[in-house]
Amino acid sequence: MTDDRTQHRIAVENLTLAYGTTRVLDALTLPIERGKVTVLAGPNGCGKSTLLRAIRRLLRGSAGQVLLDDVDIDRMSGKDLALQIGLLAQSPSAPGDMSVEELVRLGRYPHQTMMQPWSPRDAEAVERAMAGTGVTGLRTRPISSLSGGQLQRVWIALVLAQETDVICLDEPVNHLDIAHQLECLDLVKRLNREHGRTIVLVLHDLNLAARYADQLVFVREGRIAARGTPAELMSAKLIEDVFGVHATIITDPVHGSPVCIPASRKAMSSGVDEKVAEAV
Amino acid sequence: MTAIAARPARPGVARAPLVLTAMVVLFAVLGLSGVAFGSTWIPLEDVARVILGFGDKTQNLIVLQLRLPRVVAAILSGGAIAVAGYLLQKVTRNELASPGVLGVVDGAALGVVIFLAALSDESNALVTSIAYQPLAAAIGGLTAIALVFALSGRQASSAVRLLLFGIAVAAVAKALTMIMMLVGPIYRTTQAARWIAGAVNEVNWSEIQITFLALVPLLVITLLVARRLPPADLDEVSAQSVGLNLPVVRLFIFVLAAVLTAVGVAFVGGVGFIGLMAPHLARMLMGRGVHLGIVGSFVIGAMMLLAADLLVRVAFAPVEVPAGTVTAILGAPYFLYLLMRKQSYDG
Repeated sequence: MTDDRTQHRIAVENLTLAYGTTRVLDALTLPIERGKVTVLAGPNGCGKSTLLRAIRRLLRGSAGQVLLDDVDIDRMSGKDLALQIGLLAQSPSAPGDMSVEELVRLGRYPHQTMMQPWSPRDAEAVERAMAGTGVTGLRTRPISSLSGGQLQRVWIALVLAQETDVICLDEPVNHLDIAHQLECLDLVKRLNREHGRTIVLVLHDLNLAARYADQLVFVREGRIAARGTPAELMSAKLIEDVFGVHATIITDPVHGSPVCIPASRKAMSSGVDEKVAEAV
Repeated sequence: MTAIAARPARPGVARAPLVLTAMVVLFAVLGLSGVAFGSTWIPLEDVARVILGFGDKTQNLIVLQLRLPRVVAAILSGGAIAVAGYLLQKVTRNELASPGVLGVVDGAALGVVIFLAALSDESNALVTSIAYQPLAAAIGGLTAIALVFALSGRQASSAVRLLLFGIAVAAVAKALTMIMMLVGPIYRTTQAARWIAGAVNEVNWSEIQITFLALVPLLVITLLVARRLPPADLDEVSAQSVGLNLPVVRLFIFVLAAVLTAVGVAFVGGVGFIGLMAPHLARMLMGRGVHLGIVGSFVIGAMMLLAADLLVRVAFAPVEVPAGTVTAILGAPYFLYLLMRKQSYDG
């Protein structure tokens, strides 16, 4: 990390993106810091997954740009981009009879060339990725035989094998129990701390977001509602504005990170009460 | 670390040489039987003698002009259709996909029937070279698959939509083919009907030559692009994030599969279900490696058509029943089996 490079690994600038006539991202601007964990949070349909895909150029905006080290990603080749940014989809899928190792090996695809389809370097990267995620012992297992937690680690291993400096994960802890959620996010944190990788995460759980984020970003209606450290963002007022819930913020006595305790949904609260009353 | 690199990565690879050897032996037996069996039995040593150039006149005629062409045609066509099926199953991520189901075979049939009808004169002779027949088949097949894609539109990534539109387009192509045959010159109807059922017995050497010349570059291209196939096993987002240019690769593979099918069916006709079954068996026997899968599909597809042709020759002699009827009779239940298994999978 030389000093002359900008502090921002990725800069999203005035990005507008629409599905048909529905505008999902609306002139969105977001700098993402090098070597930090950035967590995107926001209500369903706010555009955070779209933003993640736009950063990886799986979707292209109608206006604005995404810069990777000050280079417009539209000007980069698909292969270059795949060597620099890895992305784990929200619900990835692969044939059930595929073995764990075979799946992880696919992460080496951008590194392969016609002349050199598979090199010792590729094999080493696959071994490192499997070791790092603790799935080495599962290598010959078909992925259909894995538990949810194991499977998620295998998918993360695929992204690790890609050896990209930027890693985007779209709701990586969905469908995982609490132990596996923590295990998965601890792994991500370690990648960031030990290897200086730039991580962009979409997380639904605000408390997990606050605990693992260096930079927390609230997305609402295709725009950035707020960004800053978890301590700055986890305020009752902001959470009410962005998510529409009344909440109390306390400090986690163990980790010192802010914890949000939701009370009731703002707009619906009275209606819900009435319904409950009727039902009773 | 080198020890790690040297370790065989896929469990399926270890037994692949054995399976491949067994397949080649079976393939040779089928090929030789294909030459030996028929209305007159020709002993294998006589077959060898003819091939080496020492046969007598009758045997030369039977082996070189009647038996060998249909054996070679069965190998080339069965193989080509099977490889096309392999590519389609891979790129749609669906084991139910095949040239037949996606409308390519019926599209090619329509292309050929239009070609035969439009370019024949009153005396039943083509006014142009027969060498253009694969071209007509290719245009028909490509038009069909392009239509399937155009109709699926944005949902082209959904395999189920593709299959549904493929079946619809196939039905329309089949109906149009029927109309062409009914309103066309009567002497073409039998020929077209035989073609549509898929028969290897009327193929001659010049047609085989055309098929061969078209097939070799296509197979080379297939093996070269095979490297692109493994990431296509993933969902769209994952495939693209490991750097696969999915829209381009998918289009290329579809065109390649359509042209392979067209070459496969151009002279032999619409042989059903080989494109569905052979890739499936290849995966089961040879594992998930793409290069082995392609080679395995070709060999199994070739064997299936050889066996089908052998069967109709022995079982229905002296009547020549098109080999395609056998593959269809065996293939349709197989398709149903896959369909039912798929359902229980999803549910």
